[in-house]
Amino acid sequence: MLVREQLTMSDYRDKDPLIHGIQSKIRVVPNFPKPGIMFQDITTLLLDPKAFKDTIDLFVERYKGKNISVVAGIEARGFIFGPPIALEIGAKFVPLRKPKKLPGKVISEEYVLEYGKDCLEMHVGAVEPGERALVVDDLIATGGTLCAAMQLLERVGAEVVECACVIELPDLKGRERLNGKPLYVLVESH
Amino acid sequence: MHRALIFSSLNPIYSKLSTTTASPDSAVFPKRDGGWIGPPPVFRLQNYKRTLLPPLCSASDSVANQPKMASQDEQDPRISKISSAIRVIPNFPKPGIMFQDITTLLLDTKAFRDTIDLFVERYRGKDISVVAGIEARGFIFGPPIALAIGAKFVPMRKPNKLPGEVISEEYSLEYGTDIMEMHVGAVQAGERALIIDDLIATGGTLCAAIKLLERVGVHVVECACVIELPELKGRERLGDKPLFVLVSST
Repeated sequence: MLVREQLTMSDYRDKDPLIHGIQSKIRVVPNFPKPGIMFQDITTLLLDPKAFKDTIDLFVERYKGKNISVVAGIEARGFIFGPPIALEIGAKFVPLRKPKKLPGKVISEEYVLEYGKDCLEMHVGAVEPGERALVVDDLIATGGTLCAAMQLLERVGAEVVECACVIELPDLKGRERLNGKPLYVLVESH
Repeated sequence: MHRALIFSSLNPIYSKLSTTTASPDSAVFPKRDGGWIGPPPVFRLQNYKRTLLPPLCSASDSVANQPKMASQDEQDPRISKISSAIRVIPNFPKPGIMFQDITTLLLDTKAFRDTIDLFVERYRGKDISVVAGIEARGFIFGPPIALAIGAKFVPMRKPNKLPGEVISEEYSLEYGTDIMEMHVGAVQAGERALIIDDLIATGGTLCAAIKLLERVGVHVVECACVIELPELKGRERLGDKPLFVLVSST
């Protein structure tokens, strides 16, 4: 099963130059959006066509041919990475959005922020029961947003195969919040 | 031939957007097997008007490399499927607005692929190094185009989203103003750029994006959208900047 495979040491060796290249293109901006936060800025990665392509290729390699029919991307930076992956693996792209952005009928999932709450929405009918789905975002921090995304998909009967992010902040333990769902990331940032 | 003369603001390939008569709340989505979730839509096909795409020539290109068109009165066959995959939602976000919803296009893997291909065919090999996409639906179409043509992707965002140093451009809304931002240093003077969004209405947002890029010395080659609402005259607001769209909706 794809999602239970662990990378072997040779995988790490093969992928490592690519990963290193990707990691070196991510810019850290201190004290954004507020003091104390070291913001992982992926826009600099997008300015390097090769590194951006390598990023997408690494995900595509992992997910192509695995009968995944849905790539759900979380607004807004998940919209940058999700569609190229979806197009390459032949899956549909489903945007998961902040409230009131999607027209027509939606389902909503509330989730907890550091202070207060937020809400993620998905179109009714975008995903059918039994479909196999990925959830894509640029970064996983506490895992709250990814969790809400998974809930939305599971509520309509889809199977979330894996969550995929470019960056993980492991100190925030987001991985544990995913209820046992696998998480695949390219870069860890401490 | 100067590249600047290649892109004409006239003669886009476009089709009239077909309109579904499904009710606004019914989720009319194409299914994988070609059927539909929800009541089957009834499409009123408008007259398809097609004019020949002006040749995009560079020193190394020949007209033979352009997408083949059998006759002047035929449309690229991919356009009608793209058009019919777009869902119209009445009275969103407010009464009187017929909202062009591209999310249904994204659910149709072939139509989404074709949408990207049509842009890529037009812009590949034209020395375009920047694709700027306008938040948030421009983020869906821009990156696949950028990746395919080997350009960088530059997100143009609402205020306070981009970290680090930005430049800002204010623009008018129907009531009030909004602001668009771009990172300092994302683009270099002299680069050739496309601006991508899902739709052009009044052209205000695209205009702000053009200004941001031109302020740092970038040459905006063309604006590219999936959908145009021609009655809102956005094309005129772009001044001398060409606009290319796939679908026109009246």
